[in-house]
Amino acid sequence: MTTTQAPPPPFDPELAAALNAVADQMPSSVTPELIPLMRQGGGALAQLADVDLTRDGRFTIEDRTVPGPDGAPDISLLICRPTQATGTLGCVYHTHGGGMIVGDNRSGIGEMLDWAERFGLVVVSVEYRLAPETPHPGPVEDSYAGLVWTAAHAADLGYDPDRLIVAGASAGGGLAAALALLSRDRGGPALLGQMLIYPMLDDRNNTPSAIQMAGLGVWDRTSNQTGWGALLGDAAGGPDVSQYAAPARATDLSNLPPAYIDAGSAETFRDEDVAYASRIWQSGGRAELHVWPGGFHGFDLMVPTAAISQDAREARLHWLNRLFNA
Amino acid sequence: MRDLAVRLAALDEDAGAALRVIAYFDGLIEAGAGLQSIVRGAAVLADCPARLDDEARRVHIRVLPDGVSSPAPQAFDAAWPHLAAGSVTVRLERTGPPGPVDAMVLERAVSAARTVLDRTRGRAPAADSTALVELLIDASGPADARLLAARHLGLPAETTAYVLVRPEGVFINGDEPTSGRAGIGPTVPVLDLPASHVAARTALRFTAAGTEEDPGPQVVSYAELGALAALATVPDPGAVPDVQALDHAAAAAPWLLQTLHAVTTTTSLRAAATTLRVHHSTLQDRVVQAEHLLSWSVREPHGRLRVQLALALRRLHRNP
Repeated sequence: MTTTQAPPPPFDPELAAALNAVADQMPSSVTPELIPLMRQGGGALAQLADVDLTRDGRFTIEDRTVPGPDGAPDISLLICRPTQATGTLGCVYHTHGGGMIVGDNRSGIGEMLDWAERFGLVVVSVEYRLAPETPHPGPVEDSYAGLVWTAAHAADLGYDPDRLIVAGASAGGGLAAALALLSRDRGGPALLGQMLIYPMLDDRNNTPSAIQMAGLGVWDRTSNQTGWGALLGDAAGGPDVSQYAAPARATDLSNLPPAYIDAGSAETFRDEDVAYASRIWQSGGRAELHVWPGGFHGFDLMVPTAAISQDAREARLHWLNRLFNA
Repeated sequence: MRDLAVRLAALDEDAGAALRVIAYFDGLIEAGAGLQSIVRGAAVLADCPARLDDEARRVHIRVLPDGVSSPAPQAFDAAWPHLAAGSVTVRLERTGPPGPVDAMVLERAVSAARTVLDRTRGRAPAADSTALVELLIDASGPADARLLAARHLGLPAETTAYVLVRPEGVFINGDEPTSGRAGIGPTVPVLDLPASHVAARTALRFTAAGTEEDPGPQVVSYAELGALAALATVPDPGAVPDVQALDHAAAAAPWLLQTLHAVTTTTSLRAAATTLRVHHSTLQDRVVQAEHLLSWSVREPHGRLRVQLALALRRLHRNP
């Protein structure tokens, strides 16, 4: 069968305008040479400058060092506990985004704190080691070690272990999906849910959306190759990639905690994210899928004021509300 | 990832910030964004609540700097930075010193809003609404098409309106001009505007330039014409003998028409003299001369009526 490449879906107007305004600061294609620059905060995936994580005293903030994976260094967990919550607390264990190559455990923490205030959650965000200095399985094993510690210390942290979810965006979404697989396969912590925000799931990097969006928007196919290449080296896209590195590789998606998956229609990850949800359903599992028309990768982080970003965040809250207040 | 507002705020008063504002609004228009998006852009980029008001189209939008739409809690403050273009006004709810990109945000937001309003809601009822107005006053047009045209002109189906006709065009609910001639039709339901238009045209024929050669009212309302409106059906008003008598007399006495108009539209010769700014005795002399030229009395009720009818028919003749 021959295929002609269809044009990409148009960006949402407000997102297109924002992209237009900051185009010179937002290379669609991140190459390995750009990794040091991005880590300095100059690139597209730089996190917000340090903000007041206590939110005027509504959270206590602690960086706790806990054991890492066997034979690996200790890891640091950012622990944010709500001071005014009443009733039984839950916990969101957060794996940050940044293509496996940039970011820290403060990245993307704002939305976690929003959820924590709304639903009474302790936020734990793991500082996993980054690729390429630490290739697979370092990042996911660091993340899993932190999850195991967090689950074992539920009483210490003051939350109900039956109300523990994993959540992450982009590479962090991929890690969260991998944590759900690892917990299932190793008999690890029971999870109430997995929140996968436009997750990075498939190292093969060859879906129609990846091809369609090459050179466009945010985190295009080249950027994705940079991320997977850093994590997996030459093995990326090959036959022997672990499902815990790239959850799209998993052959069994049954018996997983309920998943929330979202993506933009105009991003590299669209098709792998839709496929992941479909395969969970095909395995008899529970998943909720939202594809936001005209959304580029990370649209709600970059343009939180846009109408579609507000809707995307609202939809996540609705799911969390059903999960925690069922 | 840093969000857009943070990125733009970081640029501060840098000239680059203005360029980004331009790029942002250009991007909105290219992508076919709606009004909400434009007002949201203004609020986010200026980092304060922004509003758009278009009274003519009954459009009111207000957005907070976090992008959330919120109805206006109070009337606007005239001191806020604002910019109007046509019937559109964009305001930034800012007291105190202006933000670094306020002026550019207002300029681009107003321009973008006009583009969108013209595209999506029809042009405002102004000089450039010709096609919609023509559709609205065309009695042979289907009712639904006329209602659609009305909506585009900011007229809901259940409202009433009137037609105002000037020599240069037709206006819906137009204001009475401060100078120049205008005929005003009766106020009617939107679907009856073709009748209001016919009446306004008739009223326009009864108007005058207000000069010595063409004395009379510049603005005439059909409703106030009463039975005089029937004169509009006279086939050749210029051929009526009294009209010819007026023109004949006016050729001999240039002041005659203005004098007759004043005498027949006031309650006393003294009042007429004041209107004409001539001495009472001068007017007395003119009236005697006019009666001589016309060969009928212009002070007796019947004679006054003949003069009034003749003047009206003369206007109808001049405004076919």
